[in-house]
Amino acid sequence: MAGKTLYDKLWDAHEVRRNDDGTSILYIDRHLLHEVTSAQAFEGLELAERKPWRIDANLAVSDHNVPTTDRRGGIRDPISRLQVDTLDANCDKHHIVQFKMNDRRQGIVHVIGPEQGATLPGMTVVCGDSHTSTHGAFACLAHGIGTSEVEHVLATQCLLQKKSKNMRIVVNGRLGKGVSPKDLILGIIGRIGTAGGTGYAIEYAGDAITALSMEGRMTVCNMSVEAGARAGIIAVDDKTIDYVKGRPFAPTGEMWDRAVAAWRGLVSDADAVFDHEVVFDAESIVPHVTWGTSPEMVIGVDARIPDPREEEDPFRREGMERALAYMGLEAGTPMSDVKVDKIFIGSCTNGRLEDLRAAADIVRGRRIADNIKLAMVVPGSGVVKQQAEEEGIHEAFIEAGFEWREPGCSMCLGMNDDRLEPGERCASTSNRNFEGRQGHLSRTHLVGPAMAAACAVAGHFVDVREW
Amino acid sequence: MSESGRAWVYGDGINTDLLAPAAYLKGSMEELAAHCLQDLDPDFARSVKEGDVFVAGDNLGIGSSREQAPQALQMLGIRTVLAKSFGRIFYRNALNLGMPALVCADTDRIRSGDRLRVDATAGVVENLTSGETLACESLPPHLVEMVADGGLIPHLKKKLAGGR
Ligand code: SF4
Repeated sequence: MAGKTLYDKLWDAHEVRRNDDGTSILYIDRHLLHEVTSAQAFEGLELAERKPWRIDANLAVSDHNVPTTDRRGGIRDPISRLQVDTLDANCDKHHIVQFKMNDRRQGIVHVIGPEQGATLPGMTVVCGDSHTSTHGAFACLAHGIGTSEVEHVLATQCLLQKKSKNMRIVVNGRLGKGVSPKDLILGIIGRIGTAGGTGYAIEYAGDAITALSMEGRMTVCNMSVEAGARAGIIAVDDKTIDYVKGRPFAPTGEMWDRAVAAWRGLVSDADAVFDHEVVFDAESIVPHVTWGTSPEMVIGVDARIPDPREEEDPFRREGMERALAYMGLEAGTPMSDVKVDKIFIGSCTNGRLEDLRAAADIVRGRRIADNIKLAMVVPGSGVVKQQAEEEGIHEAFIEAGFEWREPGCSMCLGMNDDRLEPGERCASTSNRNFEGRQGHLSRTHLVGPAMAAACAVAGHFVDVREW
Repeated sequence: MSESGRAWVYGDGINTDLLAPAAYLKGSMEELAAHCLQDLDPDFARSVKEGDVFVAGDNLGIGSSREQAPQALQMLGIRTVLAKSFGRIFYRNALNLGMPALVCADTDRIRSGDRLRVDATAGVVENLTSGETLACESLPPHLVEMVADGGLIPHLKKKLAGGR
């Protein structure tokens, strides 16, 4: 019999029961909650007169609605405030651990899980948020769920699921200088497409993946959902264990030793069989920029905006034309000629310390260009913010003309006050460039943190490898 | 499911930010629904009627896990969604809300405004306007049952009440 993939192992370890119809009941180890997708679930629970089944499996934080400017006056927008207050009240009522808005540990749910050691190797992790795939970097089976399922997990600590197929993406070689994990995942999505991972759990492997820091691995796993995959996972190695060690929620003493011994087995067996495998050469990956309204509409920064007339498939052609019209771009324009209005550095994709360091290294001693109306850095969490300040990173940004904000989702989706005006163009380190994502008629270009920083200084897209 | 509804046909990659724009996620479901698809077709939310059918190409509902995306469609009166393929969480969310989401390879053959009659159990879409019958993947029995019960939570309640 063939060996097991990492995904198979995680699945088998959590399968409570397999049903006749092919679905399984899966046990959930960690449930993360935020304010946007949980209120109705708590309400449903109450209507049914139930309580959360395992309180200590839950960890909650408000991130989408929180202001990123001065918080001392609370949240001004009454509806945002209501959502945050509702989560506070629900957590207080059920004694769920929550980091409130002014807690130093508050931040984007996918940043704080790993940061606090609440995300541990081998866990099943769910959250009413699609970028839960981020946690797969720790060899977790992690994916987003809807509000009905949030209620289901609260009530039963289980989820009804159908097993995905196994895909492995192998990235051989080494990423070039100035090429970030974001460029790698954008390059992967550009090639396999936003439906390339549909029906699969993707395991990332190969030298280039092993060489990534845990932060970089999180960036890659984060955007697996943009490739259509249910989950992205990476095997445990020394880096995983070193990262987790000593974090507040991580085990200690004898439990730690036992945990590490178990975690070491969280790798695919050498003879495991994958349903699909794609191989990449890391050296071929360049800094990427999206030009359209889907993450797969992506090109190298040194390329020209593609021409729909060269696309043979009529549906794709129409999609490209629609995207170009929405983005206000013309086919054939060199990407580096495209000017931007705003810069956003942050999000659960690129709001961690390593990302901020990479961006700060570019802006240090420079100024943002005159045509940039706003350049903002939003750390992924209060802890990230504090670490960055201890390193003096914030000064590099502030001196260059950036705004240095409080942690949250911010302009990744514009639920708080941080959003683009209609028609504004943004170089953003977030993960979605959909129509209207950063505000009504907003135009988003996804890039890595160093690219966003260089873009701020130049006022247009530039190849950061030349800096 | 024997009533017919008007088809609203869109292309590939209709994502959750289009269906449920984040700026309105905070307000009431009514307000959010009123802005459903505003950046693609401002007419949609105004004109869609009870019982209509939402038809799309590949990757319908890709993006966020927000259950409000299928909920907005449901609130506007959409009773069935058809697409060549779906974003996984959207697909699950739609069914969890009791709204059939059906994979149909031939959605290209449907025009906006066509009258459709959809039988989710049999996996058949009748186009009353063109006279064509299109096949779609039928829902497995356990999902038919869940949809008929009104979604995941009502379904589980019924099961629990039934002593299972
Ligand atoms: S940062 Fe953006 S993608 Fe990440 S959880 Fe927040 S809104 Fe979602």
